[in-house]
Amino acid sequence: MLVKIPLPAPLAEGETLEERLTSAEIEFRNVTKRYGEVAAVKDFSLTVRRGEFLTILGPSGSGKTTALMLLAGFASPSEGEILIAGKSVAAVPSYRRDQGIVFQNYALFPHLTVSRNLEFPLEMRGVKAHERSKRVERMLERVHLSDFRQRMPSQLSGGQQQRVALARALIADPPILLLDEPLGALDRNLREQMQGEIKSLHKEFGKTTICVTHDQEEALTLSDRIVVMRDGRIEQTDTPEALYDRPATRFVANFLGEANILDDADFKVESDNELPAGTVAMIRPERICIADQAARMRADAQQRQAVTGTVVDMIYAGPLRKYHVRVGSGVLITRQHVGSGQKIFQPGDEVRLEWLRSDLRFVRA
Amino acid sequence: MTRFRKLGQMPIWLTVPAFGILLIVFGIPILRLLLTSLNAPALSVANYHAFFGQAANIRLLVQTVEISVVATAICVIIGYPTAYLIVAASKRLRMVLLVLVLIPYLTSLLARTYAWIVILGDNGLVNKLLLDIGLISSPLQLLYNRFSVYVGMVHVMLPLMILPLVSVMLGIDKSLMAAARSMGARPFAAFWRVFFPLSLPGVRSGVLLVFILCLGFYITPAALGGLGDAMLSTFIAAQVKSTFNIKLIATSAFVLLAIAGILLFMLGLDLSSRHHRAAKKERTSWQRRVPSFGTLARYLNELAAPYRAKRWTAELFQARDEIYLTKQIGAAFVVLVMSFLLFPGAIVMIMSFSAGAYLEFPPSGFSLQWYRSFFGDASWTGAAWTSIQIGIAVTILSTIVGTLAALGLSRTSPGLRSVLTMAILTPITIPLIVVGIAVFLALVNLGLIGSKSGIVLAHSIGAIGYVVVIVSATLANFDRRLEQAAKSMRAGPVPTFRRVTLPLILPGILGGAVFAFIHSFDEVVITSLVSGFSIRTLPLKMWENIRHAIDPTIAAVSSLLMLLPVLWIIAIYFMWWRARPKHVPTAATADIG
Repeated sequence: MLVKIPLPAPLAEGETLEERLTSAEIEFRNVTKRYGEVAAVKDFSLTVRRGEFLTILGPSGSGKTTALMLLAGFASPSEGEILIAGKSVAAVPSYRRDQGIVFQNYALFPHLTVSRNLEFPLEMRGVKAHERSKRVERMLERVHLSDFRQRMPSQLSGGQQQRVALARALIADPPILLLDEPLGALDRNLREQMQGEIKSLHKEFGKTTICVTHDQEEALTLSDRIVVMRDGRIEQTDTPEALYDRPATRFVANFLGEANILDDADFKVESDNELPAGTVAMIRPERICIADQAARMRADAQQRQAVTGTVVDMIYAGPLRKYHVRVGSGVLITRQHVGSGQKIFQPGDEVRLEWLRSDLRFVRA
Repeated sequence: MTRFRKLGQMPIWLTVPAFGILLIVFGIPILRLLLTSLNAPALSVANYHAFFGQAANIRLLVQTVEISVVATAICVIIGYPTAYLIVAASKRLRMVLLVLVLIPYLTSLLARTYAWIVILGDNGLVNKLLLDIGLISSPLQLLYNRFSVYVGMVHVMLPLMILPLVSVMLGIDKSLMAAARSMGARPFAAFWRVFFPLSLPGVRSGVLLVFILCLGFYITPAALGGLGDAMLSTFIAAQVKSTFNIKLIATSAFVLLAIAGILLFMLGLDLSSRHHRAAKKERTSWQRRVPSFGTLARYLNELAAPYRAKRWTAELFQARDEIYLTKQIGAAFVVLVMSFLLFPGAIVMIMSFSAGAYLEFPPSGFSLQWYRSFFGDASWTGAAWTSIQIGIAVTILSTIVGTLAALGLSRTSPGLRSVLTMAILTPITIPLIVVGIAVFLALVNLGLIGSKSGIVLAHSIGAIGYVVVIVSATLANFDRRLEQAAKSMRAGPVPTFRRVTLPLILPGILGGAVFAFIHSFDEVVITSLVSGFSIRTLPLKMWENIRHAIDPTIAAVSSLLMLLPVLWIIAIYFMWWRARPKHVPTAATADIG
């Protein structure tokens, strides 16, 4: 199959290829958005590189959708500015911004067939009719919906609607793709399948993509980088792995996966050095080993810490077992792989919990 | 360019044409009317003093309120169970019943009023029937008294009570009743404690609608009532035609408005929440006074539990007969109400084919003579043509202006929206005769009395209200994200409206247009005030006919007008139901493949 690659614009004077490839496509500069007294987004600064897949992750009400709407031009910032390809877009109305958007409930036009929906963005850009139908055909084939071109959106399943929405956002070849909770309306199996689809479309089309979600798994799976938001502010920005492994704050640690917070209230934390002020120790459940109380500490005892406690709850969750273990006045959570041949504990059992000192993390409280 | 865009983004501009017309034709004159009634510029209540000083006026006022209250009460008593049974019916039956309620609602008021004259008159159907079976020896006086006024008014108003009730009742989650039943509430308790409080908003809007219409709508009482059944609105209309004492007219109009205002104030507060608060308060004080009573009741309750359980089990197996009986009674009731609503129309239709020299039932022979007389008489066909012309003009004007206003309102803040919507709806929410007087004054000033454009303006202020209500309802269901989606695909404001918004709200706009036409085509109260002597619309001609000589031709006109609602319903059906996505035949095969 012949793959048609759209040629990039020639390099500007003084621009190097390196710069072009890593340059900022989108930039938020100290953007604040207020609705009356309430600031939905506060002092939001962010740079998105060309071709990057960036996810804005946060609980509902954290301002992530507002940030996306500001970028799309459906709302304008109260303070600060937004730059696309180095130019402020304050005066550019939404319909001139050249972005493809997948809306939360897809916003497929209910009165138009699938192919008419796909044609719409091309028509608005003045693409000729025969060219339009060619491109629609190609796109429908790409998302495996060729048989559905004459259907109305209401006659499609959730996953099919999702694919139409993606195709419609991509068909006019905009440089930027915005996804607003793209998989929120799908059930679990379909969601995993569509994650793969989105990932492969991103690889294939290379659009600078900003995705907004509250689903941590979706964020971890899809993104090059994740921005965690809380109460309108950015809490932390990093790659999925760094974010999970080295959360900066207690909020991030808790929001992304499960975390055992070892604060003074429940645990006496002994450390070689004083803990930096305002921080607490944190450890992920999968870093804690659960064993018989009688079991002996392993050889590299220097690097290990251990506590004893009582199992209060055992939760079977398919591939793993989750234990809640009472230690002193607090409860630690740990995991055990099912089928690893390890001993299974029941509530009431006395156990010993062990972890590597290096697995402890220190997060801002 | 940007300034132009900013201006276009101010949605409030879209409501300007609507408010312009409203202000000139209704708003300013009603303020002038108020000032006149207050003896401006002196500002005194002397006029009101004079009005209430006359015993005859007070009698008229009391009578007006009495007739309106009784008619409204009858409508609630008949309408509530009817609405409940309609909602409880199966989906298909419900549609049929709703159409049966809609048909009289969409039928010409004058045709319906005329039907009752024919049925209740001395030689009418009822008397003839009673004479024939020998129950009475001389005709009963059924017409031109309070009884016939109530029959006619309830017939006109009942659909207006049933429709809001049905719409509120349909919105009540059925599982709530099931939940109440699962907690041991008997059917009546479940109804009374759960369903009834939730249906109160429907009762409220139905009562408001019917009562205010009763206050200002004088056609039916004037046609069916005797001299002793005159209403304040009849009196006002008579004043306009005869002496034209502007102070007296203004004062009476505002007295009528005040009555409507009092009811609005009483019912405007949320009934259901107030009810709840009062009940809660009562219970706490009651418990404080007799603290041990609660414990005792609980104890007794516990003792009774086994018995209750036994009774429930028994009922579970026994209840069949009871349910069957209730269902039979319900069905009989609905049949009765529906015949009351539809029977008069059917009778007039049958009689319109009579071959005799006067109307009779059953007709002695079949003939089309009265239809021939309608189509052969230039005064009838001319009136019909005038009505159609005016109706079309009103439809075009009010659909455009009303749709723009609805679009503007949907984009303003909710607070502002409700205030402006209320303002736009005043011409259809206050007594009709008051609107008529205001419009009359406005058209006198504009020199448009007795002109078609004057009547078009007079009809439009009400018709705009209907369009705004229906289009706003459609817009409320319209997903604004579709507009954002279009904009994200480079569609500017105009293409977005033309390609996305308009096609999706078109059913609402067309529905609004139908209602605007109906409003204009059937309007008689305001028209009779502003038509002067030169213009005769079809309702005016019918009204004259009813009042003076009963020319059987009117039966033919009425039957023709009764066919219209069927047309309307078909039109509305095609616009609203067919607007839903069609199933593409190839889709089914694609599913298999």
